[in-house]
Amino acid sequence: MTVVLASIWGVWAPYLPSFLRGLVITMEITGLGLAVAIVLGAILAGFKLSRFRTLRLIATVYVDIVRSIPVLVLLFLAYYGLGQLGFTLSGIASATTALGAYYAALLCEIFRGGVQGVEKGQKEAADALGLGRVSGFARVILPQAVLRVLPPSTNQLSNIIKDSSLVVTIGVADLMARSYQASASTFRPMDMFVLAGIIYMALYLVIARAIERWELNVQRRRG
Amino acid sequence: MSNDVVVELEGVRKCFGPRVIFDDVSLSVHRSEVVAVIGPSGAGKSTLIRCINRLNTFERGVIRALGHEVYGTEEGKPALKRDELRELRTEIGMVFQTFNLFPHLTVMKNVMLAPQRVKGLSEAQATARALELLEMVGLSHRKDAHPRQLSGGEQQRVAICRALAMEPKVMLFDEPTSMLDPELVGDVLATIRRLALDGMTMILVTHEMMFAKEVANTVVVMADGRIAEMGPARQVLSAPKTERARSFLERVLPHTDGGGVTDVRTHPQDQGGPIAGPIDSIGGSALWSREADEEELL
Amino acid sequence: MSAIALYTGEMLDGAVITLELTAGATVVSLVAGAAGAVGRLYGPKALKTFVMAYVETIRGLPAILQLFILYFGLTQFGIDISAYWAAFVWLCLYGTGYAIEIFRAGLQGIPEGQHEATAALGLTRFEAMRRVIIPQAWVAMLPALTNFVVLELKNTTLLYFIGVQDIMFHARLGVSNSGQPLVVYGIAAGIYVVMNGTISRVGGLLEKRAAIAR
Repeated sequence: MTVVLASIWGVWAPYLPSFLRGLVITMEITGLGLAVAIVLGAILAGFKLSRFRTLRLIATVYVDIVRSIPVLVLLFLAYYGLGQLGFTLSGIASATTALGAYYAALLCEIFRGGVQGVEKGQKEAADALGLGRVSGFARVILPQAVLRVLPPSTNQLSNIIKDSSLVVTIGVADLMARSYQASASTFRPMDMFVLAGIIYMALYLVIARAIERWELNVQRRRG
Repeated sequence: MSNDVVVELEGVRKCFGPRVIFDDVSLSVHRSEVVAVIGPSGAGKSTLIRCINRLNTFERGVIRALGHEVYGTEEGKPALKRDELRELRTEIGMVFQTFNLFPHLTVMKNVMLAPQRVKGLSEAQATARALELLEMVGLSHRKDAHPRQLSGGEQQRVAICRALAMEPKVMLFDEPTSMLDPELVGDVLATIRRLALDGMTMILVTHEMMFAKEVANTVVVMADGRIAEMGPARQVLSAPKTERARSFLERVLPHTDGGGVTDVRTHPQDQGGPIAGPIDSIGGSALWSREADEEELL
Repeated sequence: MSAIALYTGEMLDGAVITLELTAGATVVSLVAGAAGAVGRLYGPKALKTFVMAYVETIRGLPAILQLFILYFGLTQFGIDISAYWAAFVWLCLYGTGYAIEIFRAGLQGIPEGQHEATAALGLTRFEAMRRVIIPQAWVAMLPALTNFVVLELKNTTLLYFIGVQDIMFHARLGVSNSGQPLVVYGIAAGIYVVMNGTISRVGGLLEKRAAIAR
């Protein structure tokens, strides 16, 4: 057992620094993509809940279409397609755009569900107290909605981490791409992919645990 | 076990983890006897009857039912074989507090399922039996409805038919009316009363004191994890001997005159005698179920 | 323009492979997933642990990494599978992991009272599952199952990377020959939207029918 471990460590060690630099890029893409998705998703959710039919229609069409396009196709559209229109994006910018656009559509539905899931009586109570539309929403509805959307949003975060690996197809040197290169140069693909897998799992577990604790904290503070 | 005893519990103890729910419960139920189990919420009444058909396990003692012997898990006896357990369950009908009808099946199919799949009845036989039973509870016109289209009272009567379709030798009722709106209780109690008249052996957990007094031969008062008192219904309910039973009954029978509890039959419709009157007109249920609710609040 | 038309035709040919792989993998995954979920819920402890670990691995690793492990990784041990079969096996393994979760959630969503009622009636566990539990769980799982098919279909986009001649494979050829990425990938996107839209529509209809039948 120790022999096997020692020998595999011998294979891994030279590549570990490179993999970890790849991990940083993976996290960068994930973070940027998530940020865009949250902002755009919140705007779309606002549209969906709006009084104006046109805004609702725009959001519905966006969500229905973007949701059914595979992320990889969106990535190619951003990376190659936008270049044709004169917006040449870097690999990371393309990934941010594609992941942001796709996950905005999913988060929009989660956010909308979260707001609509808050009991009707809460809005009525806010109205009855004379809170305006804005402060009623900001101080009564939103704080309750946040708690509801956290668990499903966490799920999407882990999906973004995984989907960030698609940038291997456009030559961004993330964790996935580096393990692919290393597997070609060492002819030990399994060893390299297993190492990448361990790192992805570790990242996923760390983030999941952190968010879990944060959720617990929020819940505890709310009693 | 005498020939006449259908269900017998001997020194039964049930725990959930470290908490003892009840202990040292012994009880014999004879053929055609109706036993009402009453007592405050949380006394383990439901758990007790669920031990009889082994929906709950128990730790100590033995339960003999219809020739099957089930020992507590800590008695060091081999557990019942799966097939014998199924046989036991097919001979014991059970009616749940929450009905537990199968929502994806029609009323008819709910009643027909077990006779067809367990007893191997043909479609025609199962249909005939189901129709007969639904007729009896006055629901044959609802045979093609789905459970959620029925009122709670109707659902519970279908659930009774479902259990009866297996031609059980004993029926267990686990608070059959406590989830029902007061005005729907009467029809369900009427159905149970009819079964009693037909000589069905029944063990009934209930909050309906008037009904217990009227239909049951024996009343078992459970409190503080024991059988506080057990005896002929009229005697236990009217003149309880133990302090624990008396204090419970005083709470749930507030219209009685003091601790004596001499006459609980204050409702006019009960004056016709215990089992008089047409089957589907039963009085007092609304009144008494309201008091059952009060008990829940205490 | 005629180049675009030509490659659109090629992409539609690729769509046949995409659908073929999706359909085959969906069937295998659902059968294996149902078995896995039953093992996860009712099996012996070792089996439960194994199924849990399997599901976590499939759900925790990026899809493309899994595909690479199967196609490239196994060559390290002298195992060489054709691209098409590697793709199919991966879609099945991946789908099974997700299907197990869907079935588990569906089965666990059935109230305890339903299980008790079947037990009290003396139904065997098999009959109870077949007549009472699964018919109800099935209805509750329909939306998740629709999403599942869409997910598998989206997964097929990765397969061009190992040389499976699906929609993406032809789209990339079309881009390099026409120099029109926006148009060609736009058409590819359109094909996926139509396919996924159809799947969702069919799923919606099934849900509606199931809702009426109850």
